[in-house]
Amino acid sequence: MSLNIVGKSVPRADAREKVTGTALYIDDLRFPRTLYLKVLRAGIPHAKIKNIETKEAESIPGVLKILTGKTIGIDPEHFYGTCIFDQLPIAFNKVRHSGEIVAAVIAESEKTALAAVEKIEVDYEELPFVLDPVDSIAEGAPLIHEKNGEYKHLPTFTPVPNSNIFFGYNLKKGNYDRVFDGADIYVEGEFEYPLVNHVAMEPHGAIAHWDLAGNLHLWSSTQAPFVVREVLAGYLNLTMNKINIHVPSGGLGGGFGGKSDYNIEPLVALCARFVPNYYLKFQLTREEVFIGTVLGRGLKGYMKIGAKKNGAFVGIECSQYYADGAYADTSCNVVLAGGHNCTGPYFFPNCNLKSFGVYTNTVPVGAMRGYGHPEGQFMVERLIENLALKLGIDSRKLRMKNFLKPGDTNSLNQPIFEHNGNVRECFQRVVDSLNETPLPGSNATHYYGRGFAALVKSPVQTANASSNVFLKVNEDLTVSISIGGVEMGQGALTVLAQLAAEKLQFSLDKIRINPEINTQITPWEWQTVASMTTMRVGNAILIACERAIEQFKVNASFHFQCDISQLNYNGKAINYKDKEFPLEKLVLGYQYPDGHTEGNPIQAVGSSVVRNVTLPDSRTGQYHPYEWTFGAQGCDVSIEKSTGIIKVLHFVTALDVGKVINPATAKGQIYGGVMMGLGHTLMEKIEYDTKGRMKTVNLRRYRIPKLSDMPEKFSCIFVETPQPDGPYGARPIAEHSAVAPPAAILNAIQNATGISFTKIPITSSVMVEALSRRK
Amino acid sequence: MELKFKVNGQEIFLQVNPNDSLLYILRDRLHLTGTKNGCSAGHCGACVVIMNEEAVKSCLQKAKRLNNAEIITIEGLTPKEPSGELHPIQQAFIDATAIQCGFCTPGYIMELYGLFLRNPEASLDEIKVALEGHLCRCTGFKPILEAAVLAQQYLNKK
Ligand code: FES
Ligand code: FES
Repeated sequence: MSLNIVGKSVPRADAREKVTGTALYIDDLRFPRTLYLKVLRAGIPHAKIKNIETKEAESIPGVLKILTGKTIGIDPEHFYGTCIFDQLPIAFNKVRHSGEIVAAVIAESEKTALAAVEKIEVDYEELPFVLDPVDSIAEGAPLIHEKNGEYKHLPTFTPVPNSNIFFGYNLKKGNYDRVFDGADIYVEGEFEYPLVNHVAMEPHGAIAHWDLAGNLHLWSSTQAPFVVREVLAGYLNLTMNKINIHVPSGGLGGGFGGKSDYNIEPLVALCARFVPNYYLKFQLTREEVFIGTVLGRGLKGYMKIGAKKNGAFVGIECSQYYADGAYADTSCNVVLAGGHNCTGPYFFPNCNLKSFGVYTNTVPVGAMRGYGHPEGQFMVERLIENLALKLGIDSRKLRMKNFLKPGDTNSLNQPIFEHNGNVRECFQRVVDSLNETPLPGSNATHYYGRGFAALVKSPVQTANASSNVFLKVNEDLTVSISIGGVEMGQGALTVLAQLAAEKLQFSLDKIRINPEINTQITPWEWQTVASMTTMRVGNAILIACERAIEQFKVNASFHFQCDISQLNYNGKAINYKDKEFPLEKLVLGYQYPDGHTEGNPIQAVGSSVVRNVTLPDSRTGQYHPYEWTFGAQGCDVSIEKSTGIIKVLHFVTALDVGKVINPATAKGQIYGGVMMGLGHTLMEKIEYDTKGRMKTVNLRRYRIPKLSDMPEKFSCIFVETPQPDGPYGARPIAEHSAVAPPAAILNAIQNATGISFTKIPITSSVMVEALSRRK
Repeated sequence: MELKFKVNGQEIFLQVNPNDSLLYILRDRLHLTGTKNGCSAGHCGACVVIMNEEAVKSCLQKAKRLNNAEIITIEGLTPKEPSGELHPIQQAFIDATAIQCGFCTPGYIMELYGLFLRNPEASLDEIKVALEGHLCRCTGFKPILEAAVLAQQYLNKK
């Protein structure tokens, strides 16, 4: 199949708006009669609320309303959520993390609202708190949710009453109670992947408006407008046709999972009810993004692997504890994915893998780029490195020997097929790419090292996730497509237009994907997560295009008076034998010379539902997630002996992407993912003080990579083993490059210094200290 | 206080609070929303504009120091016609695929505008120094650096 548009680095569809600053994000929207919401946050991690005094704040001119758990009119027994229903929009009689909202002020300006927030007095009875997931499951730990186990929840998730465990997952494969039978050699370790923030450059915001007919209009920087709608409908007891969730036309200023599911929307919607016909705006500050939205990762884990003398893996045992914060929800899926993905792309005949979602008095954990994959694969890749050292074999050979190959089964006992992709080739190409430049030998001032890791990822999604599109061909043969997927930087609008143009054989400038979302008129989409937009929305678009072509043929069949099977479509006309009829005369149906019309306008719906995704078996933990993407990463690092400064010299990523739709945007995803993984490895960590308050509340204290942290050389390699059900063979790729940087970099550090780190981040001071301890 | 200054060539008179930030004035008083607010604290660079021919973080500039200042924002670089020709730096960001979510983009473009205004021959190291104060979570920086180099070429060809 020769392709004209797919596979080309066409310019981004949204580029002109973005370089001119005219793309509209949530904080850029302007409405009449706008009021502002500001909130008071607990400031202490765990406490009972005894009293809230708002009188003085209420007396400030310009303050319209002050709302607390007691005055906002909520039923304290009615919770929202999607996996475990354990949340209220505002604290009722207890706070569970220091960023929790205890009071909300509606005022004429943000300044006035803030002034009022300062005047609210809260009387707390402090409770003991716990920040660490292992401490949180220890005997005598403070109970964070007295109702744990009573909350409504999906059957998959299994809270343990009278404990802080809201979900325990156990995956068993093969000889699961004696996983090491037959092994000759073992390696084990304890690992930590800290809590991290997504740091999308755009802070979260939402604007809510109730019209006088009782319809809710809510604009939000959300990756998941239909999840927000579902949650609001359930929580506010509204019918869905009264809810309009909008995503601004500029899309999101980054998401990375931090804007998925739901967030501040229930509170804004609820508060706005007190000021009908106004527009109520709640724009978070950067500090609030840190303390009051969601975080990612937060793992403490133990892992052990056993192998034969010849290096063949025999079994793996793992316990993972996730500090999932004050409310459970999305982190349920993190725990599930973390549980079964910790084996990496390797064949282990026997597995006993446990993972626990644990309440802690920290910010709730939500989705985060690649969640459930970097955590566990960091552990397994570090252990493989140590196993190779112990066995005295080259770690690259050890990996090659144990990679999953067609016919093997993964931890879930799913067979692996040729079409799942080629991890060996990815790995070999990473090795070759690094080998192009010899690694400098360590010298008086610097150590140099090289490290590798491989990766596998499946999208984590609800078993009935789907994407849907509406497509219409206009009278001038341009095409307008509505999707429910959100553009948040990943390039969805561009890549999806390429798919449509290719399929319809139209030039790219004829295709417009509508960037604006309104749940009232946009087709249903589960949510924009899990790197599934190219795949799932893409497939829906291809189906819609096929249907449009079909309709063109039906319309043309009236002209040619023939069966549609005899007709051909070429993007310009419908051909019948040696005759042709132009498409533009078929757009609204076929009109006979006397005026009467047959056929129908060219409009089509396309749907793509994920198939064969199942729920975990309660006994074995086994289930079918979606398909897999394999890859490998490797890097060269230098370490300055005196300062401990670690520099990544060359970072290589190879992914079996199935088919690259747009090389430039695909590479962009890889660069961005690597830098995020590099940040987690070398600098990023959410920290709390001894009183349980977050210390890392701005971008100076919570440092993310800057330009100078970028590797000197950055390589991307695409392997293309077509995905049978992917659009033109493509498979998900956008989160994947964030999976293995921690392991690859730590393996390189070990190669350079002999120091085996098991916790990240390795900042320069951690490095210097480790070097001096070693001396 | 009464503030008199110029924004994108236009004389502006406003009643403001002396501690209002330039970012606030631009976005919330003049509704020039092309300048972005990523942190309000000088840490991210999303709010960079040109003030008296220098790239500055507008969130850190107080109104009391703005009298008679000449400000250029991303709107000042943007063609007035819908299909008008973009500024070469804007074009370079498109050509180098240096945009993802686009939230950091206006800040980067204004930083480079300021740099090349002062120093059209800026070396790669000088470009890197200028861009160091900006955060981009999406692109991994590589395409942005490429866009900067490309922009310099476009400008010097003009
Ligand atoms: S908003 Fe000014 S530097 Fe971040
Ligand atoms: S493009 Fe998203 S922050 Fe730079």
